[in-house]
Order: sequence, then C-alpha cells, then structure tokens
Amino acid sequence: MEASQRTDAAAAKPQDPSPAAKEPKPAAKNTHRPGDLPGQKASPVEQHKKPILEISDLTKKFGDFSAVNGVDLTVYEGEIFALLGSSGCGKSTLLRMLAGFETPTSGSILLEGRNIVDIPPYKRTINMMFQSYALFPNMNVRQNIAFGLKQEHLKKSVIDERVDKMLKLVHMESFVDRKPYQLSGGQRQRVALARSLAKEPRLLLLDEPMGALDKKLREQMRLELVDIINTVGVTCIMVTHDQEEAMTMADRIAIMDRGEFVQIGGPREIYENPNCRFSAEFIGSVNLFDCTLISSDQKHSLIHTDDFPSPIELGHDLDLADGMPLTIALRPEKVYISKVPDEETGGSNCCEGDVENIAYLGDISIYYVRLPSGRLVASTLPNVDRFKTGLPIWDDHVYLSWDPESCIALTI
Amino acid sequence: MPISALNATQALIRRKLNAGPRRRRKAELLLTRREVTWRERLVILVPYLWMILFFLMPFLIIFKISLSVTEIAIPPYSPIVTFEDGAMQIILHLENYTFIFTDEDGTYMKSYLKSLEVASFSTLLCLFIGYPIAWALSKCRPATRNIMFMLLIMPSWTSFVVRIYAWMALLKKDGLINDVLMALGIIDSPIHMLQTDFAVYVGIVYCYLPYMVLPLFTALLKVDYTLIEAAYDLGARPVKTFFSVLVPQTRSGIIAGSMLVFIPALGEYVIPELLGGKGSILIGRILWQEFFNNRDWPLASAVAIVMLTILAIPIVIFFKSQRKKAEAA
Amino acid sequence: MMKGFLKHHGASNIAKAVILLLALIFLYTPIMTLVVYSFNESKMVTIWTTFSLHWYNVLVHDSAIISALCMSLTIAVMAASASVIIGTMAAFVMVRVRQFAGESAFMLFMTAPMVLPEVITGLALLLLYVTLGDFIPVFADRGIIAIWVAHVTFCSAYATVVIRSRFIELDTSVEEAAKDLGAGPLKVFFAIMLPSLMPAEVAAFLLSFTMSMDDLVITSFIAGPESTTLPMLIFSSIRRGLSPEINALAAIIIFVASIGTFIGWLSMVRKQKRIAADVAKAQAEAKRERESSMLGGLRG
Repeated sequence: MEASQRTDAAAAKPQDPSPAAKEPKPAAKNTHRPGDLPGQKASPVEQHKKPILEISDLTKKFGDFSAVNGVDLTVYEGEIFALLGSSGCGKSTLLRMLAGFETPTSGSILLEGRNIVDIPPYKRTINMMFQSYALFPNMNVRQNIAFGLKQEHLKKSVIDERVDKMLKLVHMESFVDRKPYQLSGGQRQRVALARSLAKEPRLLLLDEPMGALDKKLREQMRLELVDIINTVGVTCIMVTHDQEEAMTMADRIAIMDRGEFVQIGGPREIYENPNCRFSAEFIGSVNLFDCTLISSDQKHSLIHTDDFPSPIELGHDLDLADGMPLTIALRPEKVYISKVPDEETGGSNCCEGDVENIAYLGDISIYYVRLPSGRLVASTLPNVDRFKTGLPIWDDHVYLSWDPESCIALTI
Repeated sequence: MPISALNATQALIRRKLNAGPRRRRKAELLLTRREVTWRERLVILVPYLWMILFFLMPFLIIFKISLSVTEIAIPPYSPIVTFEDGAMQIILHLENYTFIFTDEDGTYMKSYLKSLEVASFSTLLCLFIGYPIAWALSKCRPATRNIMFMLLIMPSWTSFVVRIYAWMALLKKDGLINDVLMALGIIDSPIHMLQTDFAVYVGIVYCYLPYMVLPLFTALLKVDYTLIEAAYDLGARPVKTFFSVLVPQTRSGIIAGSMLVFIPALGEYVIPELLGGKGSILIGRILWQEFFNNRDWPLASAVAIVMLTILAIPIVIFFKSQRKKAEAA
Repeated sequence: MMKGFLKHHGASNIAKAVILLLALIFLYTPIMTLVVYSFNESKMVTIWTTFSLHWYNVLVHDSAIISALCMSLTIAVMAASASVIIGTMAAFVMVRVRQFAGESAFMLFMTAPMVLPEVITGLALLLLYVTLGDFIPVFADRGIIAIWVAHVTFCSAYATVVIRSRFIELDTSVEEAAKDLGAGPLKVFFAIMLPSLMPAEVAAFLLSFTMSMDDLVITSFIAGPESTTLPMLIFSSIRRGLSPEINALAAIIIFVASIGTFIGWLSMVRKQKRIAADVAKAQAEAKRERESSMLGGLRG
C-alpha cells in the first residue's frame, strides 16, 4: 500500500469518496460492473456519507507474528461493515484494537478525526457486543443495561428512561428482573445488544454476533439485529467467520487473510467479482481453471486451458499480454448441465463428461462431472422437479455449458 | 524505547523457539506477554513482600542461627558477627551439623531415618486406602456424591488435637477397641496399642487421609472412561488396565496427594507425641525437645535445616505439579 | 475395586457402598465415641455410669478455657480476613498477570507454607520474631499480633488455592465488557469480579478461620507466656491425661464444626439446584422460542 493512497483515503471528503483507494490489491480487470441488481445493497459509500472511522497502516505484532499487518480502512457513517475471515486471520485482533483491548504496534485509528490509540477502553465512545455476550452474571437485565450509563454518573431518572427505551427496542420489557443464567441464548443476545447500545456509542462492534446461537435461531436473529441497528442508526463493525452472516447483514464486507485485507466491497460485488483466487474460493464454491491467454482484442478474449478441448471465450478484452497465465473462476450455479448438447454455444464455452457423483442437498443438487481430461467440474441445479424426471443421474454422459459473462478472469 | 534491547530479547526468544517443545511453550508465552501495569505491580507487591518478610526471611535467619552455638544469653545463641577493637569477626560454627551426623548414640540420624520410614509408609497407606475411597466417591451419582463428599470432609473441619484425643480414648488399654474385642472373646487380655508405632500410623492416616482423597478425587472425576473401555475392547485385563490407563490418568492426583501427606508427616510432632511411645522418636519431636526442653536454639535450627534439605526434592515435585495444574487451566 | 472401576452396576455398586461405609466408620467412630462419653457422669473417661451434662457445666465455668477460646476466635477472625485479602491478590496475580519478574519465587512462596512441616515454620517464625523484636516491640512480646502474622502467612497460601480455582473460571470477556462500558480497573474488580468470586472468598475465609483456630504447633513456638490459644490449652491438658472436661469441649467443637459444614454444604447444594432449575426453565423457553421462530419464519 503506498503512502499517497493512504493519505487519499484518510483525507477522503464526503463528496469525494474513493473506494478504489481502500482496496489493498488491484482488482483484476473485467467488464462486470455492479449494477442495481437485487442483493446489491445501496452502499453508503455511494451515497456520499462522511467517514466515521479511519484506520491507517495499523499493525499488531505478537513477537514476530503479525496478527494485523499494515491495514487501511475507512468506514462511513451508518453502514454495517463486516470483517470476514477464517480463524486466526486477524479480524478479532483488529476488532479488539478498535475496542481498546489490544494496543497497536503501529498505525493510527481515527474516530471522527481523533486518534484513539492511546485512549483506554473505558474512555472510548465505542461499545462492543461480545461473542459470549459477557453479561454480568451477578446483575439482572436492568442492571446490566444500566451499567454503562451508571459509569457516566447520570441522574437516576435519565438512566431509567434510557434503559426502558432500550428494553423496548429489543423487546425485553418483561424480563427486567431476570439474571443472565435465567435467559435463553436469543434473549441474552438481545440484552447484550441493548447494553452496548445504551450508551449511544458512535461505533458498535459485534464480535461473532451469532456465534453462541444455534443454526435455526441465527437466521431469525440476523434480520432482527439488522433491523434494530438500522432503527438506532449506529455505525457498526462486525467480525464473523460465517460468510452467509456477513452477506445478509453487512453493507460492505472486508475479506481478511493473514492479517491483511484481500478484498473490500458489497456482498454482491465480492461474490460476483472476486478480485483474486482467495476471494473467489472463500465466498461460496467455485470451479477454478488454470489457463493461458491466447489472444485478446477489444470485444473478445480467447483463453486456453488444458482441462477443456475447446477454448474459453470472454466477451471483453483483458489487459494482459498474450501467452500469460491466468485463472478462470466459474460458479457452479452458472454451469448449465444437460443430457443433450447445446446447439447455441458454437464450440466454445462448453464441454462434456460423465456424472461421477451427486450431492443431494434438498433445495439443490451438486453434480460432479468428470471431464475426459480428468478434471472434476461442479455444477448445481435447483430441484424444482419433484420427481427429478429429466435430471441427470450417476454415470450419465452430460454436456456442460456457460455464458461468457459468467467467467471471471483472475490474475492473482 | 530501547529498540536494540527489544531486538536482542526477540532474538533470544527465537532461539528458544527452536529448542525443545517444553521450552518452546515457555517462549511462546513470553511472546504474548504484555506489559505489567503499575496497578498490577502494586497488587503483586503486597503478597510478595508479606511472604518475603514472613516466609523467606525466617529461613535465612534459621540458617544463620544454625551456624552459631548456644550461649546463656538473650537470645540464647552466640552472635556470628562481632566487633572487637575495631575488627569485625565472623565466626561460623559447624558444630551443630557435625554433631547431628556424628553423634555417638546416633539419635539424630536414627530419628531422621525413622521419620522417613514413618512418612513413606503412611503415604503408601493413605494412597492404598484413599484411592478406593476417591474412586467410589467419583463414581457416585452427583446427589449422593455431594452428601458423601461432605461426610468425608466434615471430620477434618474439627480440631486436629481433638481428633488425636479421640484416638487416645479408643486405643487405650481400657479403651473401646479393647473392650469390644474382649467382649467378643477375640482376645483374653487387652492389647497394648497406645504408645506404639501402630497408633502413630493410625493417627497419621486418620488425619491426613482427606489430603490424599481430595486430589485423587479431582483427578478421578476428570478421567476419560472411554479410554478404559478402549483398553478392555483391545483385550487388556482389569489389573493391566488399572495400571496402564487409570493410574497414568490420575498421576497428577497421586503426586499431589502423596506430597501433601509425605511432607507434613515427615515433621509431624503432635501425633507421635500423643500416640507414639518412647520408640517413636521422630525428628519433629527431637526438634521440639531441643528447642523447648534443652533450649538449644542453634541445634534445633540445624535439625530444621537438615530436614528442609531432605524435603527439598518432594517440595519441588509438589510445586511443579501445582504449577502444571495452574498452567493447564 | 479393580474389576469394577469401569462398570456402574452390580458388583461394582456393592464394592462402592462397602468402601464408602468402611471409610465413614473409620472416620466417625472416634469422634462419636468422644461425643458419647462427654455425657458420662463419671470422672473416669472410659467407664460409662449415667447420662449427665455435668462436664458441660464445669466447662462453661472454666475461665482459662473461655479466655483461650476468646483469644483463638479473635486471632482466627483477624487472620482469616487478612488471608482472604492477600489470597485474592495472589490469585489475581497468578491468573491475570501470570508473567512477571520473580514469578517462580512468587508461586513457591504461595504454595510452600501449605506443606512445610509445622515445626520448621514455627521455629523459623520464632527466630524471626526474636530478631525483629529488637526493633519492633510488637514481635518482642509475641502476643496476639505476632500470632496473627504467623497465621496469616500459612492461611493465605490456602486462601490463594481456593480463590485461584474460582478465579480461573472467570470469563475475561465479562471484565472487558465492563471496561468497554466505561468502568475503570478498580470498578471492574469490585463491581464485576468480586461478586463472582464471592463463594470462593467465603470458602477461603472459612478454611483460613478453621486453620487458624486449629493451629497448635506453630502457635506453640511463637506464643509468648501470656498468650494461650485453645488448641494449646487442650494439648497441655491432654498431655496430663484424659479428662471428661476435654471430652465436653471436643464435643462442642465437633458440633459447631459439623453444623457449620452442614450449613455451608446445604446452601451450596440449594444454590446449585436453583441455578439448575433456572437453566432448565430458560432452555425450555429457548426451545419454545425456536419453535415459534420457525413457525414465524414460515408464516412471515
């Protein structure tokens, strides 16, 4: 990351947001531009909101090991931002630095323009909802929510009023006298949320917000949590290892790996336009093919891969010298599978093979097709037909095809 | 911030990381170590200073006094450092130690050996009696276990002297045990039990048994019984399984329990004094006599220092097992 | 036992019952005999005549015993209070600070007093007091303060062990949450950690109290001629021979200790039961919540 880009990001004014400057790695060239498609959330970035949190060149080392390595990030007012990554990628360390539980080795964290690195956690206007919820076991629901307000030495009437407001917000009015162990997981989460919102923080941190809930409850609580956060209008940074959670809840997502950001963008952008192999493989499943570029003109690119007999054809140019290696990523749901050859393809963007395995998942099935080259390709089909007439079965010889627009060319 | 010092430390830690697995773990801990705040320093200081002043210091003083000789004075021992005509004299007497080892009657050596014998044998007794109890307790249903646990612990909350006193009444010539045995016709005349080694063993086992049962019980609760099933499944006999699966898994409990019995038993004074006879001259009694009856403080100190030397190894073993437990948590 | 350490039923159950029964007989016979004979009228300790409370009457009018008891109680309360404070600090250091210069020595100092033979500790402390007595008069007359210091030294080691085992279970994120909500370090300790530590603090207090009440050897070494604690009095009396008065005293001690243990145990079991019931209730609610959420999800 160059210094000039950093200062750009730090100095980004409300009318001049520069999302490109925040991306640590240049995105691979392709023509897919995110449009107003369903699932593409209206990013506050595009709505010209003002930045609330600016992190620059933030590093945390534990001895030789860099948990967070020179990270830059700008979060805008009112957005829900997700840090997504597998365990040990540094996302929790980053969050704990924001909360003040870890001291950065170097770099700065600006909250509304003020560097908060040296401010202890109990003086920051940032509140956190912990993964285990960390409710105070010796206090009841009301006392838990009031705890933060009491530290500010507010008047009792003010505290009571605010606590009542919070209880109403999370629908916990009838549980005020319960102790944490008398609550269910979902109720605990609501109390934890109310407690962290009671002080009206400038920034709310969520550490694996659904981590302590079981699967069924999770799906319901996700939407409820987003609702509450939107009602309050607080800016929110969440940490999660669950991509589904990040995709449904967040306006923007940062994928983290080994202490660095791999890609930052809206859920749709990240899924449809991954900028590297790691992103493509991390979110959803993907078929990746090692290829070389045969030729590229303004409207077409021809790509060779050992896996298919015919070349892959793209509907746009690639900023790459002929003969250079690249990776083509193809999502399984974008690979059409058919028992009869597709007439329209005209020789490119198709191949044939035998069904080797079928994973039946209920709503969809994943077909693993073995190509003559030995390569296994995954393709998914929705199980719309109740008695699966006409769907391929084991050992069927099938024809695979895809649209040129479905291929994503990756250079890293 | 002295960067070079930091780099040097890190280089050292890196080198340690390349060392064996145990050292490696220590080095890893060092790496994640954070700065100790001044508040924490204050919290460390209070117990630390207390223990240095009232635990470490006394032992230094004991050692110092063991190197002087008894005198009719207040305090009743010779000073080590004297000033005479502007010259400082340091006189270290080793007589006490040579006396302990070369005494003609061999009283001291004999009593050290006797103490070792009694302590070791009582430890084994406690282990053999305590292991089944701990096992039975750990296998009870939780509700029963709670009650049994309380019942087993309750006697040790009553006074130590009272418990010894109770045994004196039982073991006497006209005590309850002899009465019952005579009434049943098992014996014709009362057995002499009080003031024998037997009585000492009974007393030690009775008083120290809870210290053995507790750590064993904690260890047995954590045992993974599927390993025993696996051992059976693979054809190991019960006895073999016991020694090759259960004993290793409860090793920490066995060590902690044994040390908790052995170390204090070695210096036990009250039990041999009240229950033991003339033959039960254990080192605790010798020390007491030298101090209270003969008022020979330097010799008593030397006796204590030798005893501490003997105990150094068991104390280190105990300390290490405690630390392991703390680190595992 | 060898055969039965796996199975829950049959022979193993019988073995279990027999072992525990034998253990209880071994532990309780001496104590029970003692209590029974304390109600004996005769001056002879071992020959039963008639039931009487005579020796209890003698006991309560024995001013030496009463004053020794008062002294022991005073020291025990003071020693237990101080031990709990030092124990809490030491446990905090061991669990939360963990690594600092001289940490091994710290650990050794906090564990060794538990196992060291009492004769050594007693002698060592006495020699310290004699040395310190030249400068500090409190140690020279070896009264109640000197005994208190000695008792705190070994009781705090026990207190540390008890409090530490609870300290380890504390959830650090709860403390972080309190900090996050604006509580400073002291506030975090007193408002958040201490309430959770309370059961251990009480247990540590009771253990230290008992240890202090019970100590004979160390106290005998350091106590000056004017200071006699209850165990010292009992010991010197026993050395002179068995006495029914001591039986009565012992019976009272046993009674008080048993009642104390029983109440402590009962309150612990009650609390466990209450928590278990509440947790079960919350789980049932959670199940209902989940079911309704599924329905709601389908309807909505």
